[in-house]
Amino acid sequence: MAAFAAILRKDLRLEIRSGQSTIALFALSLLIMVVLVFALNPQPVDRARDAAAALWVALVFAGMLGATRAMIAENENGCMRALTLSPIDPAALYAAKLAAAFAFMAIVEVAAVVLITLFFNLDFGGDLARLTPSLMLGTLGFAALATLLAAISSRTRAGDLLLPILAIPLFIPAIIAGVKASEAALSGFPLAAASQWLGILVAFDVLFVTLGALLFEHVIRED
Amino acid sequence: MEHFDYLFAAYTIIFVVIFAYVMFIWRRQARLEVELRAMEERLKNLKTAPPSSSAKTAAEN
Amino acid sequence: MKIETYPPTPSPEVEGEKNRNMKNKATAGLGWSTLISMLVSLFMVFEWVPTEEDQGIVQRIFYFHVPCAWVAFAAFGIVAIAGVFYLWLKDQIWDDLGYAAAEIGMVFCTLVLITGSIWAKPIWGTWWTWDSRLTTTFILWLLYGGYLMLRAMADDTPEVARFGAVIGIVAALDVPVVILSVRLWRTIHPAVLVTRAGEHGLEDPRMVITLLVSLAAFTVLFGWLLMLRFQQLRTRSRLFTIRREVALIEAAAQDY
Repeated sequence: MAAFAAILRKDLRLEIRSGQSTIALFALSLLIMVVLVFALNPQPVDRARDAAAALWVALVFAGMLGATRAMIAENENGCMRALTLSPIDPAALYAAKLAAAFAFMAIVEVAAVVLITLFFNLDFGGDLARLTPSLMLGTLGFAALATLLAAISSRTRAGDLLLPILAIPLFIPAIIAGVKASEAALSGFPLAAASQWLGILVAFDVLFVTLGALLFEHVIRED
Repeated sequence: MEHFDYLFAAYTIIFVVIFAYVMFIWRRQARLEVELRAMEERLKNLKTAPPSSSAKTAAEN
Repeated sequence: MKIETYPPTPSPEVEGEKNRNMKNKATAGLGWSTLISMLVSLFMVFEWVPTEEDQGIVQRIFYFHVPCAWVAFAAFGIVAIAGVFYLWLKDQIWDDLGYAAAEIGMVFCTLVLITGSIWAKPIWGTWWTWDSRLTTTFILWLLYGGYLMLRAMADDTPEVARFGAVIGIVAALDVPVVILSVRLWRTIHPAVLVTRAGEHGLEDPRMVITLLVSLAAFTVLFGWLLMLRFQQLRTRSRLFTIRREVALIEAAAQDY
């Protein structure tokens, strides 16, 4: 537990100190939203569907950028080997990396959600609250997936390209379920109406967090 | 026969693709075996006649 | 003074030759079985089985389309199981098996999509639709693609076998979630076109027999291709091992 907290604190502190790239991330989020607005040309009647679509594109985008940051820094400094050799339980290491990835994604998503609310005419109180369950579950799922995969891709040539190639197909069921859940939420349906979709998201999260914790040690080992 | 073209296309593609894969395997095999024999020879030579430099310097010291 | 053992034990080179011959016999046997069973199957598909009423002769694509899907799914399972064994036993042989299965699975998954699409055009009027089975197969194709991209882009990484095993396992466990979510997606918003009629309503028993024979033929074909590629990858692994040994010896010699 102490190891988990220590590593998480380290990653967050590193991120806060390198404030530059965070600003660039926000800028990029804004621009992706702009592209989506012009691509979808949202009408009031499609509000829920378009906003949900934009939200999940933003989520995947945030994940692609946010989840890898922790891993890349580690590998550049040889820090990964040190962590692997230390007596830290690999599952705890995975949990810390996962929490860091989740935090990074959440930061980017805050910006994206604000923009979506403005561009797609949502309201800041009710709509955002209703979106939270699907958004959080989706972020957790992608973070779990990406943390495991980034450990692989960051150690290969052209790892930046490999991560989306591996992650996105695996994430598709969560996208299907998440967009439907978000759309239902924004259309004003109660939580229960989206229960099947949320159920799939929960199953997805449980599956990938578990898999990540189990398989992480195989991926970071060097011999 | 209605839609015969589609039926013909489907089965043709199946055979072409499978055949292409078999060719892919076959072409690689020859190259692999040549290299394998060469490497095995080299390994045998290295094992039966160790490089003379090491034996000499070891004997001198 | 040379000591003779009696009966003389074969040298390692002779043993190697014997093993190679056995493997070649097995491969040849599978090859001939493949040819024969495929020819029988073809005969049944084109000469023996009656034409289906609603769809006409295009329906015959079905008899090879379904076995392709069966092989693709079976290969996928083998990739995952081989991955588990590799992580557990750490023997390169499991990685070779998984990689071979992934390649072949990809080939047949591609065939499923192509033959399905060719069938769909005359029957449904469109090359593609997002119905649940097509969508799931397409996602499977993407998952295979990811695994093969990893091998293609990272094959010089020493740990690539372990990475491949992890990806194979993760992808296989994702498949149930995919099937679930896609099916739900499509029952709530069904595809515009009518779902495949007559696929599991094979009226004539001859159709069932033809399908079963095709399935058997493709299973043998799968076994043959897997054997071929697996052997080849084993050879390749042996080559890499020898290369490494040679490099080590030569490096050690230079130290002096």
